[in-house]
Amino acid sequence: MNIEARGLTKAFGPISAVTDLSFEAGAGVVTGFLGPNGAGKTTTMRMMLGLVTPTSGTATFGGHRYADLPHPSAAVGAVLDGAGFHPAHTAHDHLRVYARMGRHGTARVNQVADLTGVSAFAGRPTRTLSTGMRQRLSLATALLGDPQVLLLDEPSNGLDPEGIAWLRQFVRELAADGRTILISSHVLGEIEHMADHVVVIRDGRLVTTGPITGLYGTATVLVRAPQADLFAARLMASGVRVEHPQPDLLRIHGLSTAQVAAAAASHGVTLHEITPERPTLEQAFLHLTGGSR
Amino acid sequence: MTALLAAEWTRLAGTRLWLWGLLAALGSGALIGLLALAGPENFTPPLPGLDTAQGTHMLLGLLGFTVFAPALLGTIAVSSEYRHRTITTTTLFAPRRWTWLAAKLAIYTGAGLAYGAIAAAVAGGALFGVAMLKGITLGLPTVMVAALLARIALTMGVYTLLGVAVGALLRNQVTALVAVGAYFYMIETVLMFVPGIKVLYPYLPGGATAALTGFTYLADAVAGQTGTSAARLLSAPAGGGVLVGYALIAVAIAVAAPLRRDIM
Repeated sequence: MNIEARGLTKAFGPISAVTDLSFEAGAGVVTGFLGPNGAGKTTTMRMMLGLVTPTSGTATFGGHRYADLPHPSAAVGAVLDGAGFHPAHTAHDHLRVYARMGRHGTARVNQVADLTGVSAFAGRPTRTLSTGMRQRLSLATALLGDPQVLLLDEPSNGLDPEGIAWLRQFVRELAADGRTILISSHVLGEIEHMADHVVVIRDGRLVTTGPITGLYGTATVLVRAPQADLFAARLMASGVRVEHPQPDLLRIHGLSTAQVAAAAASHGVTLHEITPERPTLEQAFLHLTGGSR
Repeated sequence: MTALLAAEWTRLAGTRLWLWGLLAALGSGALIGLLALAGPENFTPPLPGLDTAQGTHMLLGLLGFTVFAPALLGTIAVSSEYRHRTITTTTLFAPRRWTWLAAKLAIYTGAGLAYGAIAAAVAGGALFGVAMLKGITLGLPTVMVAALLARIALTMGVYTLLGVAVGALLRNQVTALVAVGAYFYMIETVLMFVPGIKVLYPYLPGGATAALTGFTYLADAVAGQTGTSAARLLSAPAGGGVLVGYALIAVAIAVAAPLRRDIM
């Protein structure tokens, strides 16, 4: 089931939170939804789920608006920033309420609790749970209907490094089952290891969308060679852009490591080191969104 | 809808709201028993005793004054969804928002009736028990006492329905509680002193409540203060109908406006 947003726009009075945002998240793919804090990620996700009414535009899951899905919680699960729990309910109570509401059967409660690690604290009142435990409980709630689509809004917020590693592995496993996952974050490092595609927004507008590799820009290759001058001259003669930061070091733009190695062999140049160099996602992101804020 | 009703029931059973409700029901019934034990004739100033129609009627009327308690429980049922921000998950699982409100109205009306039945049973049991203990006969026939108690229990069910409706309308827990409390303890009493409004009294929540419970102290007191005759109340079923009507109007407004608001 794919996700499609078309022209989503939301204005709060004179303030535009999201403007004409269109993107797709393909079935069975993890799509990262990237943007700085305040970029409009949460508003967009809430519009997609019918919690916030768009000023204009639509969002559909497999061609249906969320509220029009025959069995919404069995098709789409969501972990949203700011969703709460009744403080007197235990984690188990919370899951039971929503298992009943979504007609998912009470047997499903223990399954999702085991799957997400909630079983370890299922009997505790939610008011005593840590942020990490609450995130797991949110995820367990989202999984009650065994949905094909998951919308995760900043799911690693408040998680410790161990929790983040667990989440990363968990999302990967969910994706491996063929689920469509849209996961928002402003912490780019975690998306880098989970997402295949990205949708990047800033100030409520689309900056770019496409395969995550596209964010890295043109690849460069670092080469250390005793005859660096000669190799640089040969490459530049054939139109390749080459920087020469140190006497024996070259930074070659626009060629893969294989192409650089082949060029060196054809020119009879000995290489001591050949390293693919790519910008970090953070650098790519800052470049795309016009600098840090 | 069955799933939503089951979920609301599970939610109610999982919180301590049901326990507080039970304690309040038992407590309000027991309070009437304690007052009966002390004896109205020993109050300051002394009031007619239990063996008089007036005395029995007055004690039952005091139970009628506690109908706001289950109304507050109904209000909390909705406003806590907003306060604890479970409204997000609830709306995800039931995207048509009126459906979960309808489930709450049904479950809490049932809970309100149960509350009323418990409070009335405890109060009735206590009145008859105290009368036996003191070796007196209640001033009202048993059938009439039972009928008045049943009307109070019914009123409590209707008030819980009203409480849920007000909670949906106002959303904020404190605002809703203050509004419900202020209306019954202040606003309507003050309204009664405004010339002309008294004609409307039978149709105001207080007047409709008096019709349903059969206790007209407020109307009588105001009539005494203002030197006019008390307004003629509606019949009990009509009074109940007016109260349910208020609840439905509140629900209709809630569904039309507050419930549609963005959930951030």
